[in-house]
Amino acid sequence: MDLNYIFAMLLVALGIYCLLLKRNLIKIIIGLAVLTDGIHLFLISIGYRLGGTAPIVSGEMFSDLPGFAAHAVDPVPQALVLTSIVINICILALALSLAIYAYRHYGTLDPSKIRRLKE
Amino acid sequence: MAGMTVIVRTIARLLFPFTFLFGAYIVLHGHLTPGGGFPGGVIIAASVVMLLLAYGIERAQKRMGLLQAEVLESIGGVAIVVLGLFGLLLGAFFLQNVFPLGDLGQLFSAGNLPLLYLGVGIKVTAGIILIFYAMLFAFREEKE
Amino acid sequence: MIPHAPILAILLPLFAAFLMPVVGILARRRGIKRAREWFAIAAVLAELVIVASMLPAVVGGQVLVYQLGGWQPPWGINLAIDGLNLLVALIVVGISALVAIYSFVYMERDTGLDQYYTLFLLILAGMMGVTLTGDIFNLYVFFEIMCISSYALVAFRRNWQSIEASIKYMIVSSLGTSFILLSVALLFGQVGSLNIGDLMQKFGGVVPSTLIVPLGLFMTGFGIKIAMVPLHMWQPDAYQAAPSAVAALFSGATTTVGIYAMVRVVYMLFGILGVGMILAGLGLVSMVLGAFMALVQRDLKRLLAYSGICQLGYILLGIGLGTTLGIQGGLFHLFNNAIYKTMLFMIAGTIIYQVGTSNMDKLGGLWNNMPVTAMAFMIGALAISGVPPMNGFASKWTIYVAGIEEGQYVFTIIALVVSALTLAYFLKAFNSIFLGQRPKHLKNVKETPISMLIPILLLAALCLVFGVLPHLGIELVRPAQEAVMNSGGYISAVLGGV
Repeated sequence: MDLNYIFAMLLVALGIYCLLLKRNLIKIIIGLAVLTDGIHLFLISIGYRLGGTAPIVSGEMFSDLPGFAAHAVDPVPQALVLTSIVINICILALALSLAIYAYRHYGTLDPSKIRRLKE
Repeated sequence: MAGMTVIVRTIARLLFPFTFLFGAYIVLHGHLTPGGGFPGGVIIAASVVMLLLAYGIERAQKRMGLLQAEVLESIGGVAIVVLGLFGLLLGAFFLQNVFPLGDLGQLFSAGNLPLLYLGVGIKVTAGIILIFYAMLFAFREEKE
Repeated sequence: MIPHAPILAILLPLFAAFLMPVVGILARRRGIKRAREWFAIAAVLAELVIVASMLPAVVGGQVLVYQLGGWQPPWGINLAIDGLNLLVALIVVGISALVAIYSFVYMERDTGLDQYYTLFLLILAGMMGVTLTGDIFNLYVFFEIMCISSYALVAFRRNWQSIEASIKYMIVSSLGTSFILLSVALLFGQVGSLNIGDLMQKFGGVVPSTLIVPLGLFMTGFGIKIAMVPLHMWQPDAYQAAPSAVAALFSGATTTVGIYAMVRVVYMLFGILGVGMILAGLGLVSMVLGAFMALVQRDLKRLLAYSGICQLGYILLGIGLGTTLGIQGGLFHLFNNAIYKTMLFMIAGTIIYQVGTSNMDKLGGLWNNMPVTAMAFMIGALAISGVPPMNGFASKWTIYVAGIEEGQYVFTIIALVVSALTLAYFLKAFNSIFLGQRPKHLKNVKETPISMLIPILLLAALCLVFGVLPHLGIELVRPAQEAVMNSGGYISAVLGGV
């Protein structure tokens, strides 16, 4: 169970490392994806419970709602993660299209070479 | 972008209805099983993108142009807001579930949820296809 | 109040943004000119009416709580509007309306206006969402909507400057928003709630040391958005590369929303950890660094960006002091800052529109060509430097007095010195743009077109009004100040039904 949290934080650390230190825009964008995936894993782990069932009420469980609630995993983090995944897709799509345009203007994906603005 | 070989085209054509159907299933059963508008919409969009890659952009565009995708996306978005406004007009709050609830576990149940998932599904399908087109065009302009 | 005003305030721009592509297509088919512009202006003005209709109830001390889908807080998502929310919402909508009017002519030379107005309405929806929501995850979602639209708006012209600035902005800012998400996750794991009012209540029972990590992550995340030193690197580039209308919107509205999030989440939620002094200290650093960096800039928009960082310092200092007077001064300065900052960026935009550059070395002697604009720039420069009788003086004076009352003489002295520096670099800018030798090719530069001048003059008039009658402004921010000081009222209003 604790392994989840350790892996999640490792993914976050890896993502931040890629985001800040990699020298290729595509790798930076991958780092961003890894970072948010780490956070998603963390969120899901918060709501997880060992041996839990999916938080969906079907026919036979309807008679025993307290028993169902005692076994189901927390649905709130799952909803949060789904929302966050959607947002993340938007960011990744925008980031990749910006990378395409950057490649067209500069002929490189190295962010240290994409800096003409500073006078 | 030209199409690919005959093998790829045939496989894509065979797979397309099943992928599409699977996506539609996920969208329509969003209120009963895991999944819903977003995953289903992505699957449908993936099936369209698969055809697009196999047959080349020109033929695919005849089926679903940029303009249609844009309009579809707007329709999906507007549908969600209108459904929310129904709750506001017939009930007391935005997005309130004012439609008949039906029986638990039936396909036609849960009030406005299936309709909401449908709206989300349309919007996501159109949105992902639009993103794909936008990136494709960005590369195409570069070559010209 | 218009019934359902809180949710309509978020829905209207969202709905209009969805409709905008259709409007654009129809307008092109039918050949209707400027349909998109009128549609956007109409949407923003309707939004202004909706937000203003909430004013009487909130000024009367009421906290408006709106439950989405009829679910009670803390389980459902709710919108909660107290004085602070409403002040920020009014600033945001007012600035957006003026920027929409300004864009009417300013953006006419660009193509792809469908996208511009869609993004404009989306960023407005995001800002209204952040401002009005009472749920911390919802706040994150709307914050992301706001951020994504702003990356796209910075890159709108798709030339190399804007692409580069947008990439830089996006990398830094996505790191910040990821931190906000991580922090929300930590809070949910630690406290087990997402409702801001509920969180405030439950924070009493939590070991404070476990809250330090979420606090740091929130501060970094929101700090990046408001470009607080040392997280400001993206801002000058983004403001220089973005169209001036967008820069005006960012500096006036988006930054205000960022500061609101900072106050609501960091200051009010984590108030028990004594974050006030940290904020005040960061404010001082931003102030000094912003002023020194602004002194050496050669580009007007970069200079304005750095002076924005400098002004941000005053707001953080005032709110960080934590006294009645300090918070009043900080919020009043927030209000004033939105006014003159937007105006100055609009003026920079008109100069670019008429002359084609904002490099101050290539400008000069424009006083005879555009006297009205020059007057407005002078008013803005005096206001931002805190010279009486402008509004900047009133709010800065309040912050100085608050500093002295708290016994923090060093803060006040630094703030005073930075004010003098501000005056120095703005006079230098005025000198090199409007006075001095006029290059020959600038002989035929004309006065700003009237529809761009209207928002500028309106803002200039506001600068004067709130400078001459400062008690008007203090009265305006009083409900907000009371809301900041009284988090108990917010909690009981949100959780009242439970």
